[in-house]
This record gives sequence, structure tokens and C-alpha cells, in this order.
Amino acid sequence: MTNRLNVQGLRNYITEREIPLRKRDYAGLDVEIIFRKGGFIGSNIECFSELDRTMHYGRSVINQFERLGDSVVSGSVIIAERLSGSKGRFTRSWYAPSGGLWGSIIYVNTLLPASKLLIPLALGVSCCEALHEWGAAEAEVRWINDVLFHEQKLAGFLLESHRGVESTEEYILIGFGINLNNTTFPSELKKIAVSLSEIIGDTIERDDFALCFLAKLAFNFGLICHEEDYYLVHQQYQGVGGTHLLVNRWRELSQSIGRDVVFGFDVVTRPQYRAKVMGIAEDGGLMMQLEDGSTTIEYSGEIRYL
Amino acid sequence: MSKDLHFDEILSKYRSDPYDYVDIFATQTGVVEFQVEKGSAVDAPGGEWGHIPGTALYQITRERNPKMIGAPINGIVSEIRADLEGSFVESGERLMTIRHPLKKKEIIENILKEVLYLFPAPEKAKYFFAMDIQSRIDKKGVREVIVKPGDEILTMSLMKRDTPVIYAGEEGVIHSVYFKPGVSVEQGEPLIGVCSMDKVPLIQKVITRVKAEWDNM
Repeated sequence: MTNRLNVQGLRNYITEREIPLRKRDYAGLDVEIIFRKGGFIGSNIECFSELDRTMHYGRSVINQFERLGDSVVSGSVIIAERLSGSKGRFTRSWYAPSGGLWGSIIYVNTLLPASKLLIPLALGVSCCEALHEWGAAEAEVRWINDVLFHEQKLAGFLLESHRGVESTEEYILIGFGINLNNTTFPSELKKIAVSLSEIIGDTIERDDFALCFLAKLAFNFGLICHEEDYYLVHQQYQGVGGTHLLVNRWRELSQSIGRDVVFGFDVVTRPQYRAKVMGIAEDGGLMMQLEDGSTTIEYSGEIRYL
Repeated sequence: MSKDLHFDEILSKYRSDPYDYVDIFATQTGVVEFQVEKGSAVDAPGGEWGHIPGTALYQITRERNPKMIGAPINGIVSEIRADLEGSFVESGERLMTIRHPLKKKEIIENILKEVLYLFPAPEKAKYFFAMDIQSRIDKKGVREVIVKPGDEILTMSLMKRDTPVIYAGEEGVIHSVYFKPGVSVEQGEPLIGVCSMDKVPLIQKVITRVKAEWDNM
């Protein structure tokens, strides 16, 4: 662990780099308030040389706190240099050798159900924003939050939630995997995965990238909290025409809208139907038009571009 | 679950009135405008994936945001609260009732729902069996898989967030599966029906009896 990737390092990064940047981009908003609302991200940061899965470790941390009757530190970040038992969704493989940014965040949910739906969007948006800043300007987010560069996967996220046995708190474990300097992939992933260092032709300082990603996540989580508060008062969101600021940002960063896609709950093994993406609803649902002209909104599942 | 099923009584009920009466409630607060009237025939959602909405039943408008609500099931509008037309209603207000003609398979399922332990969906989401349960189903078939309280039996998936669903009913065999992978289940709707091993013969008896009685009608 270097000196930079720690709680104070993240606070410094947010103050010195991220707040001025956001003030430039969100002139009408009180950016400092938004960062305060998302400030729990990185309340604790633990780094390891190797773990089985950071999600497993996160779960063990939660269980330990539960047994002791203590409160889990929401926003705790767990990062490992490499993972020995990483996996993707369903039965998919995820290769996590040294060089990538592999980790999890423990979030103790305080959001209302409508806002909770948007957490996956915040991950994709934050990662995409960080990648743009590091030179991968064409990185985009594919619904819900796959991050692609020229349709090759650069980053992926897992979210798992459960209730504490003792506290009954709702814990959301957010797993992230971002290909930074890891440039060799197993044969089944070679054609579909890419790393940031391959894109920009340079080595990435992992901890600096991690700070950038976490700072952006703090802002975007803050946006969710802020929009929830705003909606409760005004019955609409603060974006143009009452739209959600985070959802608007997702729209800016995605090329999904207008694309012909195949949709499936598990689209790799069980593709369900073809459709055209018409947009994304304010609650994050994917609006599609099917080949027979009917329309639908999906809240679970995934797409692949045709 | 009662062993004393009064078959004659139950079957007589279905013979005299082979319908389900499905109440339709306001999905949110707002001003309601009906799109059907008493006696209108309505269709259930259609299409290969249930993606074509059912017949429009009512439009509800909140904050200048109109939302059209479709029929969840086919049938005839048997009752409608016409007095509410153009009025502001609270979420959960009953608006109409659809009389749905039952098929034999639905009657069997309805009777079984009275005798099985029904494990409900905790949230509106898509569900799939936990990997361990799925592999046991693949090997032995669903009606050979026993579940007990505390087992992680399902995974609930909503916006890519997966939540393990822990079984909290009586120990028994999974007799009926009411969800399909990739299709959303409403909160509170049953996901699986479970019966204890010693009651499996009773369930078989229900099925056989209903099939025989219904064919003779």
C-alpha cells in the first residue's frame, strides 16, 4: 500500500482535484454539499496483496461487526492487488491478476427504493468518467453499467445485497474490477476484454487511478442522495425538465441509446429477444422497442450490441 | 396445510363459478381516467416474453405525468368504480374487478395454492434458483429437491443487484415453481409452493381428483 491510497489521500484528492472540476461542470449546484452527501465513500480503506474475493472479505467484515453488535462503516473500501477466486455474474469467469484495480465497497443502505435502483448507474458513470480523465476518451457505459472501449470490456461491477442477521440493516456489497495494467487475458476473454494501459500505451499508477475513481463515485453517490432530497421537496429532480442529474450523466456517457441489441436476463447463455434501445427512464429502466413494434422497460438483465 | 380437503365442496364451488375475480387497485396516487367499462373484454399481456401490455384499463395522472395501466389477466370487467372517474385516488384504492375464466390447470393450481406453503416474492424483481438448488434440480428434478428454513434458495435480481433469498417456510419438497427465469415477479406473488414429504400423496390425490372430476363436467 502506498501513502496515497488511504482515507486522507482520498479527501485531499477530492478537495484539490475533484471539487474544482465539478464546480466547473455543475455551475448551478452546491458541489460541496453533494460531496458531503457522498462523503461516506472511502470512510475506511483497506488494501491487501491478495484475497480470494474482496466480496467474500467484505461479507466477513459485515458478519464480524454484526456478531459484535457494532455498526459497519458504510463506504468502506477493500482493495486487493490480485484475486485468487474472482468471478463474474452467473457462472462467468473474471480474471484478476496483478495490475488491475480489484475491490469492493460496503454500503449500508439509507436510500429509498427508487434511489437504490440507481446505484449501479453511479458505478458505470464514475468508472467511465475516470477512464476519460486518464485518456480513454471513447470509453462508454452499456446498460446497466458495463464499461466498454470499442465494445471490449474494460470494467465490470457486481452488486450483492443482504440483511444483517442481528441489525437487519441492508448491506450492499459493490464489487468492481477495472483492467488497468493487466494486459494478458485467458483465451475466452482475449477478444472481449481490454485494459487501459493497452488503450493509452502507458503504465497506469493504480493508486492514483483508484483515488480518481473513488472521488468520482463519492460525487455520483452524492448526486443520488441529493436528487432524493430534492425530489422529496419538489416532487421532481433537479435536471432540465425535472430529469435526474445522474441519469442525465449516464445518457451522456452511453452509446446504448438507439442501438439494436439482444436482451436477456443472462444474455450470454439465454438471449431472449432483439430490440432497439429507445432510452433510459428516470428510474434507470431500459426502454426498448421490440421488432413487432411493442415497447417494454426492463429493470433486470443485460444487453449486447448487434 | 389441512389433510381434510373437502373435495366435493371445492369442486362444486368451481363447477358453479369457474372464475377468478381479480381486483385491480390504483398503482399510485393520482387522477384516474377509466379506459374500459363494465362488461368490457380485456386481454392479458401478450407476446413471447409478455412484453405487449394487456388491454388499457385506466390512466392515472400525477404531477402531469400520465401512466397507462394494462390488464394483468384476461377476462371481463365485472365491476367498475365508475364514481371515481376523474377523481383523485390514493394508491391501493380498488378500481375494478376482472372476472377471469379458469382453465383446468389453473383450477388445479388454485387448489394446490390452498394446500401448499407458498413462498412469496419479497420485491418486484426477477428471480433465479441459487446455484446449489439449480444443480440439484438439474440432477434430480424439482419435485425431488427438499428445502428447509435458512436455505439460500433463490437469487433476486434487480438492476444488476443480486440478493440471496433465504427460505423461511416449512421444510418440504418444491412442488410448484411459479416464476420463470427472466420474467419479473410482483412483490408478494408466490415464487414456489412447498409441501412436506409426507403430504406429497395428498397433493397427487388433489391433482388426480380434479383432473377426473373436471373431465366429467
